[in-house]
Amino acid sequence: MHANGHALVFTTALVVFLFVLWLVRQRHIGERFAMLWLVLSVLMLLASSAAYPYLFKIASLLGVPYPPSALFFLAIAGLTLLIIELFAWVSKLNDRTRVLTQQLAILRERYELHPMRKGK
Amino acid sequence: MAAAKLRIVEVTLSMLLPARTKGGLPASVIEQNQYSPPEGRAPRVLLIVPAYNEARSLPLLLDQLTSHYPDYEVVVVDDGSIDRTAEAVRRTRARLVSLPCNLGIGGTVQTGFRIARDEGFDIAVQVDGDGQHPADQVHLIVNAVMQSGCDIVIGSRFLGGAGFKSTPLRRIGIQFFSFWLSAMCHTRITDATSGFRAYNARALNLLSVEYAEDYPEVEAVLMAHRFGLRIGEVPVHMSERSAGVSSIGSLRSVGYMLKVSLGIFMWAIRKIRTT
Repeated sequence: MHANGHALVFTTALVVFLFVLWLVRQRHIGERFAMLWLVLSVLMLLASSAAYPYLFKIASLLGVPYPPSALFFLAIAGLTLLIIELFAWVSKLNDRTRVLTQQLAILRERYELHPMRKGK
Repeated sequence: MAAAKLRIVEVTLSMLLPARTKGGLPASVIEQNQYSPPEGRAPRVLLIVPAYNEARSLPLLLDQLTSHYPDYEVVVVDDGSIDRTAEAVRRTRARLVSLPCNLGIGGTVQTGFRIARDEGFDIAVQVDGDGQHPADQVHLIVNAVMQSGCDIVIGSRFLGGAGFKSTPLRRIGIQFFSFWLSAMCHTRITDATSGFRAYNARALNLLSVEYAEDYPEVEAVLMAHRFGLRIGEVPVHMSERSAGVSSIGSLRSVGYMLKVSLGIFMWAIRKIRTT
């Protein structure tokens, strides 16, 4: 990889890392997801710096003749896992929202729409 | 009044959400594997009417239900209607539970299951708000639950007699799912998609915590079977919906088939933990 390209990957990873830290500090993102993105950005930082020479070895282990393609493969695999994790989390939130909506409606009927039931 | 308000404040998230086992279902569902029908008293029956924009058909249905079955309690679960459904219900003797946002048919009916479970009803019956389900035949499926020992009794359009039996294309879909359910549940099911059903307390205990969001009827039968519940059918005569349009249009039919097939597959392979 050309030195400029190398610097671009490193800078991007650093920006992502700092941006996630800022989001955590501002409480815009919870620890659960912050952890995933921090791990991902640290991996990107490593891949573009200390671990860069190993990229060639990983590529040859994976049987990929062009090392940047191996990087793309690993990145896409990582992002896919993140998206699946996100879908699982959304499903869980959806379940919780449904239960809360149902309970809210039941409590509302019990305490507001039927005044005689209040205080029971 | 103050006490009532205080009690609402005290309801925390952890209290509202059921305690879950490792297998994903509340322990209470699994622990209660016996249901004893009431002795020496009439069963408490709750008629659950899920409704979404059914202001035109509800008044007649609710009048019929309350006049035919004065001893049964009727609760309309309004799934965030944007017409005058709530107003129509308030003019009747039926209870009204209004969901603050649209949950779909599964979440709406499940709200009724929760009410039935929490308030100790012995039997709950789903009667759709569109007027398709026969208001004068509720006792048939209620009696079947009481006498047959089944936990869930389905009112079937196809067990005999006349009445509206859906469009030809939908009948193919119904027969497809009925065939699969019959094979998987080792019992003859002729109307897998019928929502006209009666449930006893044991079934309510399960379905109030686990019920599919969309098109839940077919999945619910298989899930109930996998949890060891008994399922039966009785013949009923249904009619065409009195007003409004079905939630399953022609374009959605393909999605319906796919989603329900996936639901059957998931419940066929899902591991049921009982400890």
